[in-house]
Amino acid sequence: MRPGDWAVLIASLVGIVAYGLYKGRGSNTTSKYLLAGRSMPWYAMALSIMATQASAITFISTTGQAYADGMRFIQMYLGLPLAMVIIAAWIAPRFHESGVYTAYEYLERRFDARVRALVSVIFLIQRGLAVGVALSAPALVLTVIMGWPANITTLLMGVTVVGYTVAGGIATVTWTDFVQMIIMTAGLLAALFCAIWMSPVSFGAAMNVAGAAGRLNPAVWTVDWNNSYNILSGLIGGLFLSLAYFGCDQSQVQRYLTGKSIAQAKLSLLFNAVAKIPMQFMILFTGAMVFVFFTFTQPPVTFDPGAAKRIESSAGYARAKAEYDVAWQARKDAAAQLPDAAGEFKAAQKRFDDARSQAAALAGVKAGADTNYIFLSFVTRYMPVGIVGLIMAAIFAAAMSTISAEVNSLATVSVVDVYKRYVRKDREDRHYLRAARWATAFWGIYAVVTARYASNLGSLIEVVNKVGSLFYGGLIGVFILAFFVPRATAKGALGGVLAGEAAIFYMWLRTDIFYLWFNALGCLVVVAAGYAISLAEPRNARNES
Amino acid sequence: MSDERPPLGSWRRMYGAVIFCLILLIALFTAFTARWNQ
Repeated sequence: MRPGDWAVLIASLVGIVAYGLYKGRGSNTTSKYLLAGRSMPWYAMALSIMATQASAITFISTTGQAYADGMRFIQMYLGLPLAMVIIAAWIAPRFHESGVYTAYEYLERRFDARVRALVSVIFLIQRGLAVGVALSAPALVLTVIMGWPANITTLLMGVTVVGYTVAGGIATVTWTDFVQMIIMTAGLLAALFCAIWMSPVSFGAAMNVAGAAGRLNPAVWTVDWNNSYNILSGLIGGLFLSLAYFGCDQSQVQRYLTGKSIAQAKLSLLFNAVAKIPMQFMILFTGAMVFVFFTFTQPPVTFDPGAAKRIESSAGYARAKAEYDVAWQARKDAAAQLPDAAGEFKAAQKRFDDARSQAAALAGVKAGADTNYIFLSFVTRYMPVGIVGLIMAAIFAAAMSTISAEVNSLATVSVVDVYKRYVRKDREDRHYLRAARWATAFWGIYAVVTARYASNLGSLIEVVNKVGSLFYGGLIGVFILAFFVPRATAKGALGGVLAGEAAIFYMWLRTDIFYLWFNALGCLVVVAAGYAISLAEPRNARNES
Repeated sequence: MSDERPPLGSWRRMYGAVIFCLILLIALFTAFTARWNQ
């Protein structure tokens, strides 16, 4: 990074924190600290919801995924608008009207304290696992690409986020998210325009290359139960994943609980329903354009610099590299003939992939394991000064907006659903405000510590989604029982969640079912088992609950 | 406050607009894939 980039990066970070702290001043009651005194306008919540969902992994890994696998990943978001309509119409109004601080508090009112405790614990485990990954993912990649020590990057990002989250509570988190989302959009647009502009061929020719390589496939109608993203798995699997994430995950529910009215909360959700897929399309399209760029500019055998060093020092590298060079040149020549000689280009692409795999195999490296490094390598090596700083600021913003919401929601559940419910019941408001600040600091430190141990190969975004999918089926199932099944009892809900989680872990460990289906199938088990147990209860027990 | 009127006049219309956008996007993605992905 050059001085101009540093200036942009530092100015953005200082600006974000200062603005957030200014807007969050005066959070001196638990209601203001945890729910911003229910005063937020729809546009602040809308961008906060979007910024929370878009993590640094989204930027770093999703672009790489489009480079390596094409745009079909976008189908995972097709269920999101449907989920937003369901949440806006039925779920958000109930949360708002009941005046709860957390989604799980609602479960005690509907069922009993055991259901609330079980679901709160599931949330704390699941989010607790994810928050470390959210912090470590950008730190890991920045270490490899920029040479910044991982501990320092993690600590710097962690301390900044925890600092403003502890100080200002959710009002600061929401307003920093708001600015962070604007910076992310600017960074994203800059990356997209640069990727198109730096390609040596015309836009039409670039589209031909990306298309011939199978990278422009946002709609896949073939259904495959065991693997891959398609329209059906995206609509159904994505619907359940989004229902769980936006409807039952406190890190999102808390965003729209801060709304100054139900209408404002609904609008923020519907904004996301419409804006999310186009934004994801832009991110993936950027990845496809980066692919075109590297069709005409030779890429390294692997984008992971550590693995590249191991490959270069292995025996047989010179011969493998020679074949790789020839294969790349052949693909480049074939690309220049498009759209006519599509068959030749496909053959050249296959030869190039094989040469790459063989070279990578010399050091025991999988050729596709560098997805997370592609985008940043491209940005830091080829983009103009200032833009690199802006994209770095966007990645930091994406990481910070996700972590702040997660830390904030973990602290809220710890205080409202555990501490206030079981440890210290009837204390004054100031006591719980202090507890919330301490809990925020605790989860922040926990995130920094666990981030040091969370390291992953392969695609990080899939890891995060997979961990989520192990628990989301259970969460959404219990909320469906709560909202839509009047006969469901507390015992039914409890038994249903346990049966659903057992089924999900069985699918994960013993079958090859694609993880996106866990949410829908797990949820069905929860609802079916929960309903059956509720019906089996004597009628007077049902009436009591 | 839920009687606050949404931009399109009623919530039902808002939800309809969202679903319409989704169908339109799927149609656009399908056409995009058919045109470019060879």
